[in-house]
Amino acid sequence: MSAIHLQNLVKRFGPFTALRTMDLHIADGEFMALLGPSGCGKSTTMNMIAGMEEPSEGQILFGDRDMAGVPMGRRGVGFVFQNYAIFTHMTVRGNLSYGLRMRGAPKSEIDRRVGAVAELLQLTPLLHRKANRLSVNILQRVAIGRSAIMEPAIFLLDEPLSNVDAAFRAVMRTELKHLQREFKQTMVYVTHDQLEAMTMADRIAVMDHGVLQQVGAPLDVYNNPANLFVARFIGAPGMNLLPGRPAESDGGLVIDLGPLGISPPLPEGIAAVLRGSNGEVFYGFRPEQVTRSVDGRGLAMPVSFVERIGARTIVHLGEGERSVKAVFENDAGAVVGETLVLVPDAASVRVFDAGSGRAVMAEG
Amino acid sequence: MTMATLPSTLAPAVPADKPENESARLGFRLTLPAQILVLFIAVFPLLMQLYISLSDWAPLSGVEWWNAWELWNSFANYSDLAADTRFWSALWCTALVMVICVPAEFLLGLALATLFADDFPGKRVFYSILLMPMMVVPAVAGYMFFMLFQSGGPVNDILSALTGRTVAIAWLSDPTLAFIAVVIADIWQWTPLMFLILLAGLVGVPDDQIKAATLLGANAWQRFTTIVLPKMKTIIIIALAIRVIENFKIFDTLFIMTGGGPGVATETISVYVYKVTTQDLIWGYVAAIALAILVVLSVVAVFAMKRMAKARELAA
Ligand SMILES: Nc1ncnc2c1ncn2[C@@H]1O[C@H](COP(=O)(O)OP(=O)(O)OP(=O)(O)O)[C@@H](O)[C@H]1O
Ligand SMILES: [Mg+2]
Repeated sequence: MSAIHLQNLVKRFGPFTALRTMDLHIADGEFMALLGPSGCGKSTTMNMIAGMEEPSEGQILFGDRDMAGVPMGRRGVGFVFQNYAIFTHMTVRGNLSYGLRMRGAPKSEIDRRVGAVAELLQLTPLLHRKANRLSVNILQRVAIGRSAIMEPAIFLLDEPLSNVDAAFRAVMRTELKHLQREFKQTMVYVTHDQLEAMTMADRIAVMDHGVLQQVGAPLDVYNNPANLFVARFIGAPGMNLLPGRPAESDGGLVIDLGPLGISPPLPEGIAAVLRGSNGEVFYGFRPEQVTRSVDGRGLAMPVSFVERIGARTIVHLGEGERSVKAVFENDAGAVVGETLVLVPDAASVRVFDAGSGRAVMAEG
Repeated sequence: MTMATLPSTLAPAVPADKPENESARLGFRLTLPAQILVLFIAVFPLLMQLYISLSDWAPLSGVEWWNAWELWNSFANYSDLAADTRFWSALWCTALVMVICVPAEFLLGLALATLFADDFPGKRVFYSILLMPMMVVPAVAGYMFFMLFQSGGPVNDILSALTGRTVAIAWLSDPTLAFIAVVIADIWQWTPLMFLILLAGLVGVPDDQIKAATLLGANAWQRFTTIVLPKMKTIIIIALAIRVIENFKIFDTLFIMTGGGPGVATETISVYVYKVTTQDLIWGYVAAIALAILVVLSVVAVFAMKRMAKARELAA
């Protein structure tokens, strides 16, 4: 069994808490991405799963087996380091065969498996090369191959693509996903690049400052962020968030956005929960999920900046706290200074409690 | 630098690559003082020695050294050297001390370095204590061991306490025991240096590669032989080369402990040279011995440097 269960995991370095009560369950064969900004405790979590660090509190289970006290060499995990940790004094072949040699595998089997892995990762012509003069792209493949050859049930990758060039990164994303489909390992993949997490992972665990913020399928995390941090962090650009208060209107419950007027009526599910409260909230919607108003009703805001990115256009509107971005799939024809009236797609509107930062969820 | 600039300055000037030639000439001019210095420090004494070694010159022979050609003895010193049993015995003794001391110091130093690479309580204190022998002036160390190994000295006292009988071994009067005592003193004094160099090498081994090896299932011994030792190869060769060359010249501690005795049991090359120089005063012969030793040591050094270059290439 190679499901991974992290239960109430805490890691402290002296007075500094790097990880706070982390609860995460990764299913057998699942591709889980740990996503978060630098220093949020991703590597720390991985190192504890691999056994390189002892948890300060809590438990790690593989299947139903408690890993406390199991040394890292016996956990049967493959690990790809952030900086690869290639054995530079060996050849590529020496690196790939290392694990098998240390376990005393017969020479014929070593040759066969090295051959197979080298073929898979296109390392065959480089097998005899010394590892100290190889490019990062190749080192990265050697690092993956060196672990993959052991056919671990659990594969941990710590930002394996953060140092390689963009073109190769795109190739490796598909390769890795392919590899995982083929071998069905449980894969934990650390990254601070949400595109990587979104495209490869079955589920994403978003972390910030040592706290697990949300776990869910990529689209779920994108569509239904659990709190303000996830709303801002996921998506490029992140979700638009405007401060305001719930208010009653003819069309139903709306958010009074102060100088921006009132929002379009809220979806009934959210309205039902919010009705009657008067606390400050954030009105959120995705920059990709807006249209320009046809009848003049909506959020009227001045354009402050227009960013063209290939086919897409990002239009920045408003300023300071009351600024939003809108992404259009075409030129949009927006001019700086002009006032646009935007209508967020009703179904994609999210409301967050300003006090707790949590999303207001429709009941039921 | 000098190797590279010299040939190009000597080569006829080619107008086509004038700037390059000019910079080479400037380089030569800038390094000239250093080259002259090297000439005086290394080459001049060497030539002087070579010159004297071909004569019967001695400080009391009544001619200045530059007139030693008057005492030219047509390579007699070198043929004498080949037939000098005391020289060969001294060489043998030196070699024996070396093949015992250097490996012992290396293994002890490596073991200690491995121990000190990890943290343990009181590490700093032990570290300081461990380095102390290296700080002791060799002459003082010699006197210390001379006292320790007296018949009524502490070594025998400890042996008495351990065996329960009165032990009164005359350590320094017995050829074999005197040799052992000298070896012990050398190991005591020079293991710390080995330890220090090897520790520097050991902490330079990348931690993540060791972790990677562990995760791939290598046990402690496998990690040591497949990662740590190969990565330390260059520094190991440096440490061994330093100790081989230093040990070949072993003198002060040993001389104070035994004076090369009993008989010639602990007479190493340096002790022998010292005796010939100060007692027999035949400097022409001394020069011949010194040159012979220099040749031997140079061969060792060249060999070590070759290995080092290779190891560095492998370990980088
Ligand atoms: N051995 C340690 N001693 C003290 N603090 C540590 C140690 N290791 C990590 N930390 C701290 O714990 C926090 C989390 O570190 P971690 O390496 O897990 O971050 P990360 O999410 O992997 O970041 P990055 O994306 O930069 O790799 C950081 O603030 C870091 O400074
Ligand atoms: Mg990290």
